[in-house]
Amino acid sequence: MDALGLARLQFAVTTSFHFLFVLLTLGLVTLVAVTQTRAALSGDPVHARMTRFWGRIYVVNYALGIATGIVVEFQFGLNWSGLSHYAGDVFGAPLAIETLVAFFLESTFLGLWIFGWDRLNRWVHLALIWLTALTAYASALWIMVANAFLQHPVGHEERDGVLRLVDFSALVANPLFTTAFGHVVLAALTVGGVFVTGVSAYHFVKRTTEVDFFRRSLRLGVVVTALATPALTGLGFAQFPVLARFQPTKVADAGAGAVGLGFMVQIGFLLTLVSWATLPLLFRDWVVRLRFPLYLMVIGIPLPFVAAVGGWVFREMGRQPWLVYGLLRTEDAVSAVSRDAMLFSFVAFTAVFVVLAVADWVLIARLVRRGPVDEPVPVSPLVPAL
Amino acid sequence: MEGLWIVLLGLLTAGYFALAGFDYGVGLLFRFVGRDEAERARVLRAMTPFFLGNEVWLVAAVGVLFGAFPRLEGELLSGHHGAFVTILVGLVLVTSAVQLRVSPWWDVPLVGGALIVPVGWGVLLGDVLGGPVVLWALGIPVLFLLHGAVFLAWRLHGPLRERAVRTARALVWPAAGFVVAAVASGGSVRVPAYGWVGAAVALALVGGAWTALRSARSGPAFLCTAGLCVVPVVAVFGARAVVDVATMAHTPTLRALSWVALVVLPLVGVFQWATWWMSRAAR
Repeated sequence: MDALGLARLQFAVTTSFHFLFVLLTLGLVTLVAVTQTRAALSGDPVHARMTRFWGRIYVVNYALGIATGIVVEFQFGLNWSGLSHYAGDVFGAPLAIETLVAFFLESTFLGLWIFGWDRLNRWVHLALIWLTALTAYASALWIMVANAFLQHPVGHEERDGVLRLVDFSALVANPLFTTAFGHVVLAALTVGGVFVTGVSAYHFVKRTTEVDFFRRSLRLGVVVTALATPALTGLGFAQFPVLARFQPTKVADAGAGAVGLGFMVQIGFLLTLVSWATLPLLFRDWVVRLRFPLYLMVIGIPLPFVAAVGGWVFREMGRQPWLVYGLLRTEDAVSAVSRDAMLFSFVAFTAVFVVLAVADWVLIARLVRRGPVDEPVPVSPLVPAL
Repeated sequence: MEGLWIVLLGLLTAGYFALAGFDYGVGLLFRFVGRDEAERARVLRAMTPFFLGNEVWLVAAVGVLFGAFPRLEGELLSGHHGAFVTILVGLVLVTSAVQLRVSPWWDVPLVGGALIVPVGWGVLLGDVLGGPVVLWALGIPVLFLLHGAVFLAWRLHGPLRERAVRTARALVWPAAGFVVAAVASGGSVRVPAYGWVGAAVALALVGGAWTALRSARSGPAFLCTAGLCVVPVVAVFGARAVVDVATMAHTPTLRALSWVALVVLPLVGVFQWATWWMSRAAR
């Protein structure tokens, strides 16, 4: 494989890892914020315990989200300097806003939320998790604005061989952005809902004594999934007319990426159907008494992840051979970096990501198995227990 | 407008080196300053409330580099591919390990990452300057070590503090030696004044840190070493005149970004300050 192939593979691998963590981050932070709101309003200790349990899984997942995100951010300049040279004036703007508005603030808010546990006023602390959630969504928003520009470049003019920004509002009104952003947000909520459902179901399979705790969690997960999935699939299909107009050959160009599309559609239908079928079973805990749905819920945890990565691969591969659709070819944007240098970075990032991701998932699995704990364990390992 | 963005890029970069510098210093020192697990947890806990807020200064700086200096971003990063890949591998290791340290096994990526990152920055600065890369790869970690030790001297108490002070004092001389060697071996550059002024400021800051440590005023010592971590990057990039208006985005982009910066940066300032305010009691 040449430097171009390695650069593309590296981008696919690093962004896929990043995407897996980001999806759960976005989904869980919303559910944690909802739970913490209920805890603040009701004063019911079960909600406070739920906030701590799901919050801890959220921060452990977040650790790899931020670590992989740094690599993705640097990668544009490292391996695709042709992109920043040619389209940096336009494509760089939403990315810069993303880092300033979202990444910078999100991490600062999250640090305050973690270390402000039991130290800050209840409402201030609640505001912090909502601000963290809000900035996380803002992050997704600006990334999707940047990505939509690659799919369907708008708001620019070409002068002296480089693009210049003419109309910033056109970037945000990009038809390849609006529906896709809603779709990604709902996908993240689905990931969060299915995850919380599956973990709760696991504890019922294990005949947990924390019945109230996991009943509430399971209901929250099922309801969020049932609310999110119809709109999710709706916004998925709503993108086909847009594609037909602006990227008519996308499905043909996607090649292997079209398989991802197929998976996504199947999984989307399945989750919609199953989550709505589960809703009536929440009555009198039939879902728990029947038991077999519990096993399906546990097995279902990876499904929305597979669907999301499949959809993302389709979106990106269907853009080929263009990096900026119709304007800049992928092969013309790759940096003048030797094949060996590219191979070194590909191997280094992949190895580090695989080891750390597996370690992170093992940690999450351990937290899940242990269930809610009552001794004053800090919400994040970032707070070393004294 | 161009000037504003150059200042902003400088500010964010300076913020990163001044703040994250002590993250890596503490990461390298905590197993040495803390002799058992309980002590190590206390040492780490002095740093971790600031960790996330510190690291993101780099993310913001690179974002600004991309948005406002697109022609520089691509050249700089792809032109120093190996150095940046090294820095990134270190960053991934240390960022994950600090947030996930549930057992001492995580100290392998934690200490490793905290070493790789400053070595990578040293290689990059040596590369950009055209100076001896080995000297820089050793020197930058020494500056961060000193900064970390002074930070711990400021934030800890009792025997841990004494150990941190002793470490800091032992690191003052290597730090001063690096500054002298770096400027002596710098060779010819486009704007030599940056080198001389930078070295003078750096030596003054080392002296300031030394004096402050002797009179047990660790707060001022911390400010001195924070400045010391910033000087090399400013001196090297200034001396080589790396940041050039020709590499910048055109006015419409800068204007759009300026509105965002105007709203967001005061907010960032407030919440970064809140992080320090909240941990005042922990001192």
